[in-house]
Amino acid sequence: MAYSDKVIDHYNNPRNVGQLDKGSAEVGTGLVGAPECGDVMRLQIRVNPETQVIEEAKFKTFGCGSAIASSSLATEWIKGRTVEDALAIKNTDIVKELSLPPVKIHCSVLAEDAIRAAIGDWKKKNGVAEAEPAAVTAQ
Amino acid sequence: MLKVLDSAVPVACWSCSVAHNESILFCPHCSKIQPPPGGDYFSVFGLAPRLDLDLGMLEHEFHRLSRKLHPDRFARALPNEKDWSLADTALLNDAYRTLRDPIRRTGYLLKLQGAEMGEEHSGKDRKDPSRVPADLLEEVFELNMQLEEMRMARKMGQTDPDLQADLTAAKKKFDGLLDAVDQDLRGQWKVWDEGDEAARQSAQKTMVALLDRRRYLSNLVRDVTETLGA
Repeated sequence: MAYSDKVIDHYNNPRNVGQLDKGSAEVGTGLVGAPECGDVMRLQIRVNPETQVIEEAKFKTFGCGSAIASSSLATEWIKGRTVEDALAIKNTDIVKELSLPPVKIHCSVLAEDAIRAAIGDWKKKNGVAEAEPAAVTAQ
Repeated sequence: MLKVLDSAVPVACWSCSVAHNESILFCPHCSKIQPPPGGDYFSVFGLAPRLDLDLGMLEHEFHRLSRKLHPDRFARALPNEKDWSLADTALLNDAYRTLRDPIRRTGYLLKLQGAEMGEEHSGKDRKDPSRVPADLLEEVFELNMQLEEMRMARKMGQTDPDLQADLTAAKKKFDGLLDAVDQDLRGQWKVWDEGDEAARQSAQKTMVALLDRRRYLSNLVRDVTETLGA
């Protein structure tokens, strides 16, 4: 199976590889896996608490080229969006952009799951922070 | 592709017209070769689905049937019989390759059972994002990070003997984790083979989770072995 040029580009030059401080209240972490192929993907976002805009996104994926490209593209797309806007990204958008073949669609699903998990984690943290503002300022 | 054996439906032999179980390669009445049967891989060997198989017997049956199906034996047979000897041989080979491997056999049986459980189950399964437990993901991610660090160090040309030792230790660790999964799987085989319907259901769930874990671990073993060999 041949990878599309866009997959190869993201695979060779992955965008936003790295790690954010998991302990920070502004950071949401999503860790997801595809048991079908043994891939594991971590996607993190840093959200501006005033604007709800995702200012930074980082990922680290252990998996095939399509999984790496899907998560790399996902971080590019969510950066600069508000949290709610980022939730609008669908795996089918990733499939289209990267021309993923049917057998690799689960890689795009994984990337969408990772976005949702990271935002979910941030929301959970944020909910706690809103209830106890003193705890946040104490950090 | 996976069909569940329905042995309640007899098929008439094309040659002698005597009805026989559809999963049989040769008519029990007139001994003529039959078209590829529609049952599962177990039924090719006359077995009911089970996980703890006598591999010696399986191999013996495989050789016996292979000889009986050999296309040379059908040199003077009808064109249909010649075709069937090839098709039955292909089916027998697929069945043997799948059943003799413990992991493939387990996966195959679970798929067979999944097909029986119907749409409700598979639909729920697909939508379940928590199928991979969080602690497994954490563990696998962490192991991958450690392995990558060692691989990077090696790529940079470090010939640190500690690094080699770390990699060897990592391989030993992954191998051990994989062995533990295989032992757990064997334990579940017994539960499935000997249990009632409720026990089988719970064993199936456990085995699906174990195979998921196994896939992650075997990727790690593959990667660490590659790094050690490079």
